[in-house]
Amino acid sequence: MKVKAWLLPILLTLFVAILVASFYAASWFGEQYVLRAEPFDPFDPFYGEYVLLQYPDLNVQSRSFEGPVYFTLKEGPDGFAVIDRIEDEPFFGAIRGAAFGRQITAPQLEQFYVEQGRGPELEQAVDLQVTIDVAPWGFIRPVSLDVREE
Amino acid sequence: MDLERKLVQWRKEGLIDQTAVERIMSFEKGQPQKRKIPLLLLIGLIFFALAAFSFIAANWQAIPELLKVALFVLLMWIFYVLAYFSEKKHFGQPVIFRLLSLAMFGATILVTAQTFHFNLSNSVLPWAIFIAALAHYFVWRHMAYAVTAFIFGLNTLVTLVPFTGWIEWSIFVGISLAWFYFSKDDTPKVFSWMLLFFSGLLMWDLVTYNSPFWPIWTLFVLILLLFIVPVDARRFLSPLYLIFGAFMLIVYLAVRGETDMSLVDLNWPESIALAVTGLAVLALTYLKFRSIMWISILGAMGLLLFDDTAIALAIVAELSALAYLIIAQRKNQSLAPGFIYFIIVQFVIYVIYAWERLDMSLFFLIGALLLFALSGVGWWLNRKKEGAAT
Repeated sequence: MKVKAWLLPILLTLFVAILVASFYAASWFGEQYVLRAEPFDPFDPFYGEYVLLQYPDLNVQSRSFEGPVYFTLKEGPDGFAVIDRIEDEPFFGAIRGAAFGRQITAPQLEQFYVEQGRGPELEQAVDLQVTIDVAPWGFIRPVSLDVREE
Repeated sequence: MDLERKLVQWRKEGLIDQTAVERIMSFEKGQPQKRKIPLLLLIGLIFFALAAFSFIAANWQAIPELLKVALFVLLMWIFYVLAYFSEKKHFGQPVIFRLLSLAMFGATILVTAQTFHFNLSNSVLPWAIFIAALAHYFVWRHMAYAVTAFIFGLNTLVTLVPFTGWIEWSIFVGISLAWFYFSKDDTPKVFSWMLLFFSGLLMWDLVTYNSPFWPIWTLFVLILLLFIVPVDARRFLSPLYLIFGAFMLIVYLAVRGETDMSLVDLNWPESIALAVTGLAVLALTYLKFRSIMWISILGAMGLLLFDDTAIALAIVAELSALAYLIIAQRKNQSLAPGFIYFIIVQFVIYVIYAWERLDMSLFFLIGALLLFALSGVGWWLNRKKEGAAT
């Protein structure tokens, strides 16, 4: 009984540790990209203030996709990330996202929690940039959200 | 002390004598004294907790990422330790402390998601709590964990839509099946049965073919579960099949009567396959599980839905309700479930065929009269049954 009583809390703690480590792993082993971003509806729900983002550079002109897509990023000529490869089927290193017409987004990129009170400021700035770390296996860790300097 | 004063008063009035007073006093002295926490200490503790929380909240942005997560993990551990000692030293409710730990585990994931800008629309949180609550249930076998697991199981299913994949669906069904098979109590079996049923509905999201009959196919497949449960559990589970079957029949009746069913692919091959399966179910249930034979009626649904006036379906619903009631009365079983089903069928039929054809006041007036008449019939049936029993 003694072991049983403590097994679950230990397992749950391990789970949290792995979850946290997976975010750090993206920074340790991955590459960093800076994405052009625009806020489209900052608001303040239960979890605290966060900014919903869309990405003007993440789009495909060649053909249209619908539903889940898999893509990788590369640094564009102006230093901001653009889509490198995009497929309908998963491949190693791909970020899982969704296509809405020609616009691409990934669930982990859609929202960014910000300090209380910073939401309206970012909304007014409109031109933003998001720094993310992408692990070789396609996991994303958003690192920071700032006003874009161009 | 109040008691002493009262006793003196009663003795003076001659209600009790001195020996009784002494005996009561010595008995009361032997009783364990209730330990009360001083009010001021309680208020102090509340203020302290509030202060601690507001201090953390005010400095939330300044707290390092890892510390935020660690703080909630620590809270989770505190409640587990409290639960352990409450079980050992018999104070408080260990189950409450463990539920709080589970809540803190959920909060940890929320905080982790917020700290690392992880979108919560994915299903990590419900999956984690679903599995953790199930693990709690299997370790401590308390119903509270089963209820938690059921709620978060449903939550997990909801978050799978609209991009359900076969892998996560199979994992979910595997977990629910294992829960069904290994739970010793009846109620958790019902919970896991329901999760299995609802995961069958995800076929609408999983496959591109929009069958109108996924719920019926699911219910038919779930009959196989009755083979792996002991006879006692079978008795407990069979009403579920009837309730879900009856509910489905009513929903199909309402949908057929009120819509043109353009969202689903109604076709002959599937309808015929369903009818044949219905016959097989009839044979199987007749031989093995006679109490749920009624659900084989759903096999005819494929053919009934082709009638866009829904009259055939209404007749089937009406006849099945009446037949169920008559048989239940003959066998001296409870009439309440059959009668509730009967009343609902009447009202669905009434709304389908009368809503657009009657003036609103007349619609409700006739509806009320119908309800009176039906409740009168119910009362009369019940009285007759009671008379027969005595």
